Amino acid sequence: MADLNKDEIRAMGKAVGLDIQDPELTEVMYSLNALLESLDAINPPGLNDVEPLPIILPPA
Amino acid sequence: MNQSELPFLSASDLSRLIQSKEVSPVEATEAYLDRIEAEDFRFHSYITVMRDQAMDDARRAEQDIASGQHRGPMHGVPVAVKDQFWSKGVRSTGGSRILADFVPDEDATVITKLRKAGAVVLGKTNMTEFAITGFSHRYSTPRNPWDIDTYTGGSSSGSGAATAAYLCATSLGEDTGGSIRFPATWCGLVGIRPSWGLVSRHGVMRGVWSMDTVGPISRTVEDAAITLGAIAGHDASDPYSSKATVPDYQKSLGGDLTGLRIGVITEFMESDLVEPAVRQSVSKAIATLGELGATVEEVSIPLSMDAGVASAVLLAVEPALAQQDWIKDRIQDYGHDVRILLLTGSLLPAQAYYKAQKLRTMLRQQVLDSLGKYDVLVLPTSGKGAQQQVEDPPITSKETAGRLSFLFTRIFNLASCPAMSVPCGFDDRNMPVGLQIAALPGAEEKIFKVGHAYEQASTWHTMRPPGA
Repeated sequence: MADLNKDEIRAMGKAVGLDIQDPELTEVMYSLNALLESLDAINPPGLNDVEPLPIILPPA
Repeated sequence: MNQSELPFLSASDLSRLIQSKEVSPVEATEAYLDRIEAEDFRFHSYITVMRDQAMDDARRAEQDIASGQHRGPMHGVPVAVKDQFWSKGVRSTGGSRILADFVPDEDATVITKLRKAGAVVLGKTNMTEFAITGFSHRYSTPRNPWDIDTYTGGSSSGSGAATAAYLCATSLGEDTGGSIRFPATWCGLVGIRPSWGLVSRHGVMRGVWSMDTVGPISRTVEDAAITLGAIAGHDASDPYSSKATVPDYQKSLGGDLTGLRIGVITEFMESDLVEPAVRQSVSKAIATLGELGATVEEVSIPLSMDAGVASAVLLAVEPALAQQDWIKDRIQDYGHDVRILLLTGSLLPAQAYYKAQKLRTMLRQQVLDSLGKYDVLVLPTSGKGAQQQVEDPPITSKETAGRLSFLFTRIFNLASCPAMSVPCGFDDRNMPVGLQIAALPGAEEKIFKVGHAYEQASTWHTMRPPGA
């Protein structure tokens, strides 16, 4: 997966109403690419067969 | 006993002296307030000290106890609470400049419950900004009494510093990704993140709704047990709070561990992120659990080391959504780390959030399957001891983006399980090391039993930080 560049990060910001400029722009680029790369590398067998359940209810 | 010596008692011992009327709540509260005034300039543990309200609480407790109305082990005990919790008529900043002047018109339920139990609330403790990073502070950074040049761990940094520096008898923190257990381990304290839903989150500033939990940071396991007992239980104002009966956690303390099955999570024990001296301390502690009668075996949880990434996505996205108006209008009012985190969270694609939640489901199942075979799981709380104080450095590469990979707490936030950090030794710089003990949701009693048995077989909890 190719890294997002500054122009792409800036455009993504605009899409959600944020005008992101340097120095934040560079740091957000590294931070976002690091998270996406790390997440992309995790693909355990069976991942497509589970539902994204955020909680289990506490015992009654 | 000299009044100035009262702060150095455990909360439980102070409680017994108050119940027997050998010490009055007013004496104990004055002793803590005097010590805060004299010493907290070194530790930066409080944002707001509630002297007048605390003395009112103490006088009320003294009158009640004198008239024979003792309410239980927290009656008259001075407590510090994290500034993440609303306090009626007292500013509640959440560690942020954005809420610097926010004065709630009601108390968080945990504060209401503390007062109902007769506790004396001393004040509001320092914390990282909105409790969503481990390091970024807006009201100066708390200092670790074990070495004043090192950090306490966060986000409940002030609760850790205040408890370790004897500036409260026990304290409350909040744990979304490890924010109770992180300062507990680095400050040589006991901290327990309870089961999700055991403690009301009404009036608690939100991090990640499905991971936020309120719990104690204390000097002993018994202190943690009485503190949790006071705040646990259903609250109609928090629809996700449990309706289960709250046990008397003090009754789970004592006895050996014969018959208990303990699983050691190999992925964490063998990780390169664990420094040799930390591994040695934790291994010795686990051996002690075996000597106390438990059956100890290794267990693999294959997705363990992916908990950090999955939780990092949730910890970025959910606060960014909750604070989207401030991010648009007041981004420069945030500190550096939080600003970058919230902007990153604002841009993470929905697919990433969805995948993180799916990974969470799989990881949780692996944890619950393991806890079907073992009563508790054990591992290091952190791969290293407390580090030097540093300002938030800029992120200059993808490799420097993650700051907390050495922290092994998030697996249990994702799994909704309770977990405790208990002191188990020191690293090669003489900074405290913590053993983490986790159990099934609702099984806090097992954690207290194991933690207390280990504590009583060791001496770490009796040691006083050199800076305190």
